[in-house]
Amino acid sequence: MPDRSSTMQHAATMTNLRAAVTSLPMMLMTFVMLSGGKLVRDPVHLFALVATFCFLNTLFFLMVKTGRTDRWRAILFTVFAVAFVISFISHYVEARGSMALSESEILECRTPFCHIVIPMTIIPLALTRTIIFPGTMTGVYAAIASMFIIWIGASLSLGRGFCAWGCFLGGWDDGFSRIMKRPIIKNIGKKWHYLSFAVLLVVALTSAAMLSPTYCEWLCPYKAVTEYVQVTSLTRLVQMIIFLTLFAGLVIVLPIFTKRRVQCGLFCPFGAFQSFTNKISPFEVRVDKDLCVNCRKCITVCPTFSMSEESLDKGNARMTCIKCGKCIDNCPKRALSFHIRGTSPGDDRTAQRLLFLYPAFLFLSTMAGGNIQNAVVRIIGLFTTGSLLTH
Amino acid sequence: MAAKKVKAALGYAMAAAAFIVVIVTFVGNDALSRIFARATGITVSPRYSGGEVIKTIDHGTYKSLIHRPVFDGLFSDRAGGFIQVNWYGHPPWPRKIEEAVDYDSDGTVDFTVTLDTQNLTADLSMQNPSVTGIEQTYRLDRGFAARIALHKNSVGKSSK
Repeated sequence: MPDRSSTMQHAATMTNLRAAVTSLPMMLMTFVMLSGGKLVRDPVHLFALVATFCFLNTLFFLMVKTGRTDRWRAILFTVFAVAFVISFISHYVEARGSMALSESEILECRTPFCHIVIPMTIIPLALTRTIIFPGTMTGVYAAIASMFIIWIGASLSLGRGFCAWGCFLGGWDDGFSRIMKRPIIKNIGKKWHYLSFAVLLVVALTSAAMLSPTYCEWLCPYKAVTEYVQVTSLTRLVQMIIFLTLFAGLVIVLPIFTKRRVQCGLFCPFGAFQSFTNKISPFEVRVDKDLCVNCRKCITVCPTFSMSEESLDKGNARMTCIKCGKCIDNCPKRALSFHIRGTSPGDDRTAQRLLFLYPAFLFLSTMAGGNIQNAVVRIIGLFTTGSLLTH
Repeated sequence: MAAKKVKAALGYAMAAAAFIVVIVTFVGNDALSRIFARATGITVSPRYSGGEVIKTIDHGTYKSLIHRPVFDGLFSDRAGGFIQVNWYGHPPWPRKIEEAVDYDSDGTVDFTVTLDTQNLTADLSMQNPSVTGIEQTYRLDRGFAARIALHKNSVGKSSK
């Protein structure tokens, strides 16, 4: 008769084997996405490719093996945000000699398009069939049409899950929100939960009225770590001060003190806009009311204020849910789960979770992979040549 | 019961389709972007792009591109607008470049803009009352540009 330790060892081996087999499709897909089907010969780029591939697939393997989602997602999401900034800034310093965007580049429509602009473009787009952004439609890095396609793909597959599995900026406040063990600011009034919708309404209307993306020009905290318009006047200086202040407040200080994604949950107009796409996504976070003991842990940990007493009563998260999985990871009674709309609550939860994880993780790893590879190459360059710039 | 099964089957089908949507989004991004741009006919707002080029003048060592007057608003034209003039060429640039523009094609010059290529200052001689001044001058990668402010209310000639 086998002893207890060998039985446990056997069970652990089986768990690892099952997780490895389940991870195989992701390994294949991430390899295709990372390499772009091309053979990499340069040793530095090859190292970056292999390191990124191993990093991504280790995280996916751990997600499958441990049954925890947010814990591993957050690592990749934060690394992605930092890698994006390293890669993006270095690229533009190489291309134009500065992180700042000059008036001439705006005039020649060479500004990279960001998804956050999308809600501001909708009204003018409907009425004038033009995009109120100084970018290029196709054929360049971060072209307008390319970002629209990514946004449509994300909306159809993940809904607002984009904010946890696709946004290249959200990792900043996600990362900062995990620094403290316990929050210093615990209670944030309910009315604040609707602030992002108010910001959305204001920027959508002002952008339409002024035919320029007002949030990007005046309120985007991420200008502090991506690109901003060259400071050539008092107005530009005021804008720069606003960007830096909002970045410090909404992306660093408040997420640290509240342990929430304050910028994403309370201020980002794209996040509010993307909430509506949760209605068309096949996935949602569901609460099994039979298992729920109303400990309110999910309400406490939700980074975007998407769990409330009402949502627990209704049995699913609010429409602002970003599907990060933090509430699911933290539920002591396993009452929360990723759920496919239309199916019964009693259906196989593991299968439903995997059906969500495949598109979500593939989305995140594809968005992140190129940036992480590029950042790895640049960091190697920093150690070997003393510069992040490759040429 | 049957309806429940159909709903569940649809749910699973949608979930599986989500994976395919993600693959197509990235693998087909270039092609889909081109199709999206072509099919929708969406362009960059003329307030940024300067609008369509209506005239190109070859000066030998450089070319002047005259854009259409831009008054585009959300519902209708706005009272204030601009016209953009681009100069493209290679250095060495002459110290001063001058362009006489007849943007309404009535055979008479509406304004003459003279740009100092070294310090990026410009002089404007206004012959049409709808021309109100110089909005801004720019140094471009391969040349220069200027935006001349216009006013629709006093268009006069430009409405012909």
